[in-house]
Amino acid sequence: MRENLTKDMQSALFAPPAPPTIASSGADDPVPWDTQPYSIKRHGLSITNCDAEPVRTPGCIQDHGALLVLRLSDLSVLQVSENTQAILGHEPHELLGHSVAAVVKHEGEIRLRSILATEPTERNPIYAFTLPANGQLAALDVTLHTIDGSAILEFEATGRSQPGVETGFVAPRPRHGPDYYSLIKKTVARLQTLETGQTLCQSLAEEVRVLSGLDRVMIYKFHADHHGEVFAESCRSDLAPWLGLHYPAGDIPQQARDLLAKTSIRPVPDINGELAEMMPLVNPDTGMPVDMTFCALRGLSLMHTEYLQNMGVAAGLTMPLLRDNLLWGLISCHHYSGPYHLPYELRAACEFLAQMGSLHLRAVEDRENAAYRLRLEEVNQQLLSLAAQEGGLASMTDGKPSLLGAMHAGGAALFHRDRWWRVGQTPDESQLEALGQWLVDKVDTSSLVSSVYATHALAAAYPPGAAFADVASGVLAAPLSRSGQNLMMWFRPEVQKTVNWGGNPHDKPQVTGPHGPRLTPRRSFELFSESVHQQAAPWLPVEIDAAARLRTLIMELVVVRAERLAGLNADLTRSNEELDAFAYVASHDLKEPLRGIYKYAHQLLEATPANEEEKRKLDGLMRLTLRMDSLLDSLLHFSRVGREELTLEEVDLNEVLADAMEMVGSRTGDGCTEIVALRVLPPIMCDRIRVREVLVNLLSNAIKYNDKVAKRVEVGFVGPHETPLRGAFPADTNGQTVYYVRDNGIGISARHFDQVFKMFKRLHGREDFGGGTGAGLTIVRKLVERHRGQVWLESAAGEGSTFFFTLSASDDN
Amino acid sequence: MTISTASTFAAPVVVVEDSDEDFDTLREAAAASGIARVIHRVVSGGDCLAMLRGEGDVRLPLLPVLIVMDLNSHGVDGREALVAIKTDVGLKEIPLVVLTTSSNPKDVAFCYQAGANAYHVKPVQHDQYLLLLRSLMHYWLESVTLPACLTKVD
Repeated sequence: MRENLTKDMQSALFAPPAPPTIASSGADDPVPWDTQPYSIKRHGLSITNCDAEPVRTPGCIQDHGALLVLRLSDLSVLQVSENTQAILGHEPHELLGHSVAAVVKHEGEIRLRSILATEPTERNPIYAFTLPANGQLAALDVTLHTIDGSAILEFEATGRSQPGVETGFVAPRPRHGPDYYSLIKKTVARLQTLETGQTLCQSLAEEVRVLSGLDRVMIYKFHADHHGEVFAESCRSDLAPWLGLHYPAGDIPQQARDLLAKTSIRPVPDINGELAEMMPLVNPDTGMPVDMTFCALRGLSLMHTEYLQNMGVAAGLTMPLLRDNLLWGLISCHHYSGPYHLPYELRAACEFLAQMGSLHLRAVEDRENAAYRLRLEEVNQQLLSLAAQEGGLASMTDGKPSLLGAMHAGGAALFHRDRWWRVGQTPDESQLEALGQWLVDKVDTSSLVSSVYATHALAAAYPPGAAFADVASGVLAAPLSRSGQNLMMWFRPEVQKTVNWGGNPHDKPQVTGPHGPRLTPRRSFELFSESVHQQAAPWLPVEIDAAARLRTLIMELVVVRAERLAGLNADLTRSNEELDAFAYVASHDLKEPLRGIYKYAHQLLEATPANEEEKRKLDGLMRLTLRMDSLLDSLLHFSRVGREELTLEEVDLNEVLADAMEMVGSRTGDGCTEIVALRVLPPIMCDRIRVREVLVNLLSNAIKYNDKVAKRVEVGFVGPHETPLRGAFPADTNGQTVYYVRDNGIGISARHFDQVFKMFKRLHGREDFGGGTGAGLTIVRKLVERHRGQVWLESAAGEGSTFFFTLSASDDN
Repeated sequence: MTISTASTFAAPVVVVEDSDEDFDTLREAAAASGIARVIHRVVSGGDCLAMLRGEGDVRLPLLPVLIVMDLNSHGVDGREALVAIKTDVGLKEIPLVVLTTSSNPKDVAFCYQAGANAYHVKPVQHDQYLLLLRSLMHYWLESVTLPACLTKVD
C-alpha cells in the first residue's frame, strides 16, 4: 500500500517544474499558487507585493542544508528537499517512503524517538545529534521539531568538518575553542550592568559581532507605526555606519514580522545560494505544504534576497528581540565579504544572547519608562506648586520648569485667562486659536478619562495643521475646563526634522535586480520620507498619562481654589453678618440706655437744678450722650459702607457734584463760600449715592476746616493722559482719571496725612471747626476703595489741602 | 400692665415696648396730648400676639385702634409679630406703627414690606422724642379715619 502511494508521489514529483513567470499580468489575474502549491523557485518572481507572499510555506529551503519531513507515527520520510544527494548522499527517491534510518542509521532513529517522547519539540527546534562526516559529506548537525503532526528534520554542516573549511563556507572556530558558555556568561554579566536601552543595545550589537564574526550587527527597532530604525550598530570599521537610519514599515512586511516574532533565529548563510524545492510540495498525509516557520533552512523570499543583494549583502543572520512576546526589534546582521555559515552551536549562542537581550531590554525599558514617568510626575508637581503659589498658570510656560520640563516635546502652549501662553516651538497665535476651536469639538471635555487628545499626524486629522506640520505634527492636548475654552497643549515636530540623515545610505552602488529600484535603500528612504510626511514621533502612553494627570491636578487645583474661595466667602459673609449684628447692637442696645440717660438728665434739668454748677454738669451729661449717639451712628454707617453692594451705573458727575453742593448747604457764588468746577467733569461708571457721599464729605471738610473769609473750593480732575500734571501721583494711578477737591483752608501738616483717614481720629478739638465724629474721611476712603480706587492728599499747614481720589471701577469699563 | 387714662373710648392702644424709660416717655406724651384711651403695654412681640388673639392674661374688650411696636424685644420679636399681625385676616387692618432705635435701611424696608403703616426712629433727645410721640398719637388717634371693623363701638 505504502509502496503504491510512494510511487504515485514520485511520478508527481518528477514532473518538470513550471517555468518561472515574470509578473506582468493584470492585477485581477489569480495568483498561480491558488491552484497549485507555492514554491519560491516556481513563483517567486511573480511576487510583486510582499504582503501577498506565503512566507511560511515557501516550498523551498536554502540549499546549504537538507530537510526531511517525517510521519510522526513511524518516522518514515514523507517529503525531502531535492538536494538530498549533495547533502545526505541519497537521491530523494531513495528516501521517500522509507524510514528515516536510511539517513540517520538505527541509532539516530532511536535518538529521534527518544527526543520526540521526552522533549518539547512542538514548534521548537531541538538539537538532536551530529551525523559524522562520511567521505565527501560534511559532518551535519541535526535539529528536530514537530509541527502540524509531522516531524521536521534539518541537516546543516557543523562547521567542524574539514570539507567545510576547505570551501571557506564555514565560520572559523573561535580562537579559544568553542567554549560559548563562558563567553556568553561574561557577556550576560556585562549586559546586566547597563542602564539604558541605548547602551544595552549598543553592547548587544558589539557582543553579537564579536561572537559571530559578522561584518555588521544592527539593533533594528520597530516604532509604533512599524517603521524601523537602526537603534544601535557595530560594524567593520571600513563600513559606513547605518546607525540612526529609518526604514518604512513595508521593508519588513507584517507577515515577515509575524514570522520573525516566532522564530528565534533566522540564518541566511548565502544570499546568492540556490534554493532546493521540496519533493513533493505538499505533505501526502495532510495535503498541506510544509509550514517552515520554525525552520532555520526556510527558503528566502526573492524580494528579500533582492533587497539584501542590492545592499551588497552576501550573508545574513536575524534574531528577534521580543518584549512581552511582541516584536520589539531585531538583531539584524549583514556579512558582505562572502557566504558565511554559522554552525548550530554558535548560532545557539547568538540566539541565547538575543534572548538575554530581550529580557534585559524589558527590564531596562521598564526602568527607563519608570524614570521618565517619575520625572514627568516630578515636574507636574513642581508646575502645580508654582501655579498654586502664583495663583495662575502663567508659570506653566514662563516658569522653571515649564511644560517642557520633562515632556519630550518641541513646544507647549496654554490658553488661560483669555490669552495664549507659549514656550518653545509652537504654531502662531492665530493658528493656535483655530486649532483650539477644532480641539474643543474633538475632545470630550466632560470625561476625565478620555479627555486627552493625542495625535502624531495632526495634518491628517486637521488639514489646516499642514501649515505648521514642521513644528506641530504631533499634538497632545488636554482641556483645562469643562467648556474646553482653557487648553493645554504640547507639540512635536515632524519626524523628518528630527531624524538624522547623516548616514543616508547612498554609499552603495545602485545595483538593481528584477524588481527595479524599489528594493534599494534609496527607494526605501524615499518611501520612508513619504510615510513620515507630516508625522511626529508618537506620544508614549506614559506621556499621555502624564498629560492627563497634570490636567487632573490643575483642575483639582482650580476646584480646590474655588472651594477655598467659597470657604473664604462664607467666612466673610459670616463675619460681615456678625459685624452687621454688632453694628445693630451698637445702634440699638447701646442707644436705648443712652436715651434713658438723656431723658433723666433732661428731667433733672427741667426740675430746676440747685445751682449753675449742677446745671452745667447736667448739660454736659446730655451733650456727651448726644456725642456718643453720633459716634454710634458713624460706626453703624461705616460698617454699612463696607458691606453693601455698589450699584454701578453711568453717572454724570456734574449732577452728582451739584447734589453734593446742595447737601453741604453751599452754592457757588454765595459770597463767602465758593465751590467751583473749572471744567466739565467726565461721565463715569460708579455708584451715584456713594460718590455723592464722597464729595459731600470732602466738600464739607473743605468748608469746615477753613478759617478764610472767602472760602474757596475747587473740584476738578486730571485725565488719564494728562501726564505733565501727574508729577506726584502714585505710579499705579497711571492711565486713570484722578479727581480732586482743593480748598484754601487751614491745611494739614504732612505728619498727619495718615491719621486723617483713621476712624474717630480728630486733629482738632471736638468743638473746633463745628465738631464732627472724625469718621468722614474714613468713610471716604472706604467708599473710594469700594470703587477700587485710592485717596491721598497734598497739603501743608496753613496752605490749604487737596484731596485726590480715583475710581478704578469706572476706568475698567 | 394696664394703664387707664381718662378713657371714654373702649378701643385701646397696644404698645410693645421693653424699655421702661421709653414707655414712660410714651405715657408722658399721651398724657400731654390728652389721649383718652386705655394703653395696654406688653414687653414682647409674643405677648402682643397673645393679647390680640385673646390668649393672654389681659382680655381686650375690643381690637385696638393702634399698635405701637418696638422691633427689638425678647422672645418673639417685633418683626415676627408684625408679620403675624399683617397676615392675620382679623388683625391686619389695625394700624401698626413701628417705633424703634434702628435706622437700618434693611429694617425700614422689611417693615414696610411686611405691611407696617409707619416707621419711626426713636431720637435720643428727650424733647424730640416727646414731640415725635405726640404727633404720632395725634395723627393715628385723631386724624386718621379707621376702617369700620375698628369703629363699631366708638
